[in-house]
Amino acid sequence: MALPHLADYPFYRERLGPDGRPAPWALADLESYAATHPGDPFAGRVIGAVTPKVALQMEATGEPPIWTALNPPELDRWAEVVGGMWSRWGAVASETIAFFDYGSSPMVLLASGGYVGYLRRGAAERLGIFAVCNDGVATMAPRMVGIVETVKPTMLVLRRDLVAPFVSALETAGVSLAQTVRWAAVSEVEGTVTREQAQAAASSLGVRVLRILRCDAAFMLAGECSECGCFHLDRRYRAEQLPSGEVAITTTFAVTCPSVRYNLGAARLAGAGCPLEPRAQRIEC
Amino acid sequence: MLNTEPFDDIDRLSPAELERWWVRRLRAVFTVAARELPFYRERFAAAGFDPASFRALDDLNRMPIFAKADLLAAQRKTQSQRLGIERGADEPGSRTTFSLSSGTAGTTFITHTARWRRAQGMSSSRAHWWAGLRPGGTLVMSAPAWHSYAAIQPFIAMRFGMRCVVVSGTYLPRFADRVVDALVHFRPRFVTMFLPMVFSILDAARRRGIAGNELFAGVGSLVVTGAAITPGMRAHLKALTGVERVAEIAGTSENLLAVDCAYAEGLHVVSDTCHAQVIDRKTGLPVADGERGSVVHCALIPYGSLYLRYDSGDVGVINHTPCACGLPSPRIKLLGRWEDCFSIGARALLPYDVQLALEEEVPELKGAACVITREGLAEGKLRLLLIEPHGASAVSLLDHARSALSRRFDVPVEITPVKDLPLRFKGVPPILSEREAEL
Ligand SMILES: [Zn+2]
Ligand SMILES: [Zn+2]
Repeated sequence: MALPHLADYPFYRERLGPDGRPAPWALADLESYAATHPGDPFAGRVIGAVTPKVALQMEATGEPPIWTALNPPELDRWAEVVGGMWSRWGAVASETIAFFDYGSSPMVLLASGGYVGYLRRGAAERLGIFAVCNDGVATMAPRMVGIVETVKPTMLVLRRDLVAPFVSALETAGVSLAQTVRWAAVSEVEGTVTREQAQAAASSLGVRVLRILRCDAAFMLAGECSECGCFHLDRRYRAEQLPSGEVAITTTFAVTCPSVRYNLGAARLAGAGCPLEPRAQRIEC
Repeated sequence: MLNTEPFDDIDRLSPAELERWWVRRLRAVFTVAARELPFYRERFAAAGFDPASFRALDDLNRMPIFAKADLLAAQRKTQSQRLGIERGADEPGSRTTFSLSSGTAGTTFITHTARWRRAQGMSSSRAHWWAGLRPGGTLVMSAPAWHSYAAIQPFIAMRFGMRCVVVSGTYLPRFADRVVDALVHFRPRFVTMFLPMVFSILDAARRRGIAGNELFAGVGSLVVTGAAITPGMRAHLKALTGVERVAEIAGTSENLLAVDCAYAEGLHVVSDTCHAQVIDRKTGLPVADGERGSVVHCALIPYGSLYLRYDSGDVGVINHTPCACGLPSPRIKLLGRWEDCFSIGARALLPYDVQLALEEEVPELKGAACVITREGLAEGKLRLLLIEPHGASAVSLLDHARSALSRRFDVPVEITPVKDLPLRFKGVPPILSEREAEL
């Protein structure tokens, strides 16, 4: 897909430098644009006449909420990214992945065409695995234990703030996660949990914990590698090291709502060379 | 004669033709169940039921009835969500997802496959069409992913060429602001929502200085689900939102589906989703039109989890008389759950009855939020906590309501005005302890 002409997009227009590239930006920049343009749900990143087939409200931004948009081919490519992540984590056909998060979380939405319209092949569908989603509220922790006991997923995806209530519900029910679950992937609404938080989650859940790097504004999802501990980037993301010690990401499949030079914060580009996936670009954070 | 725009030829059938269509369809589904689904094979054999002998709808009376307890027992036995009622879940390309059916008795799991999503999606499109959905515009996804309705909404959006709008979070009052934002920006013409959520978003909008009719500007149909609405509640919702058509959809995770037509005098059974009956709890035989009984249905789409002769635990009434709209299927109304049925004086009542009585006796109280207290029922009284009506006549309204309800139900009635009630209880009066009803 050709990259869009950024000068046409109000959000980017005011950020373009003499080299024709926008200055790296973060969520706060999008929020300040949104605060001064309350009539534009997409904060200057979708051109007026376009009516995208799918609009997603970002969880990480508060008042006013900000939306992203995609058309079917973009949705499909994003789902392919997620499928690749689960595949690297060893998902095989006929297994089940369970989510303890909101159904609006991109990892859930992208799992199946049964969760969002216009998705031709969801991540689970690509891998021939089954999906079940609880809700992303702590009061649903006992029900999550019921899912583990009955549906017996081998893979779990959960938000960091739900780890504690889930652990306590598992203890109350006397259920050991390790009996059926191979790994649990833990996410933040924006960014990633720290290694320390992941270690703590692993010891309380009793299974291997993998980290997720999530930036909805950039349609970015990446999974921690079990070999090198870095996040392997799908080839659809281009990463650049910024002089500030941060990393910016350009998402090449995002056309309807372009995402160019999204600053995901303090991180180091580790280059290629992991034995598990020698050509993948990697980010350490 | 058909007095409404048909979705397709099935809507053009006469009631007698639909009955014959149902018999053929049911026989085909029972045959599949007996051949492929162990849960039904065993139970049909034990009851001596042979699908080949199914010739008329009366033959349903010979068949065993199942309920949530049977599914939970099977789940305990298999230690799995697989109950022997799932078809095609393991086929390559099945694209299986599971949704959840939670209830006081426990959680069961519903298997959805791609074939089910397609076939049920077409049938649910009919339901949405009846409720006023037309192509184009925006569909705000209003079901959380764990709910079986969430497995249908993507298909509806695509079938009608609508933009799919996904609100972040989940459908609880604390996310109401986010739903308001979606309505304001994307201006859907058709909105479906769980009833209590409508009140939550109206409250959230009011806090932002947006009036109800402003929030719902451009909405032609507001479809509420999750609770039976009384005529007064419908009028109340119209007044609050300014929406011309407020429709009700009754749907269960086990694929019972019925929807209001424009005449709004009972919900038409969605002909290719299910066949539904209202039966007497003791005899298991169909009740006369208008009499209360258990709603028992057979789902007609034999993919994924298949629910046959399933008693959903709902109390309902059925009406076979022709509807002015001309749609051929009978109309049902789900009035509440047996578990919410309470006895007071000589009567068995549902919260719906209390709400209906309030609005019929005191029209000013239509849509009023109230709670029936357990403590009152334990003393043989109907004690209501009711949000204080505004205005100078509030005291006399409550006095009037008290004496009218007391006369109507022949029991002592107490009505305590309260400043507010927890938002999640708005819609149909729940039965709560007075402590639970505190904010
Ligand atoms: Zn690696
Ligand atoms: Zn009708």
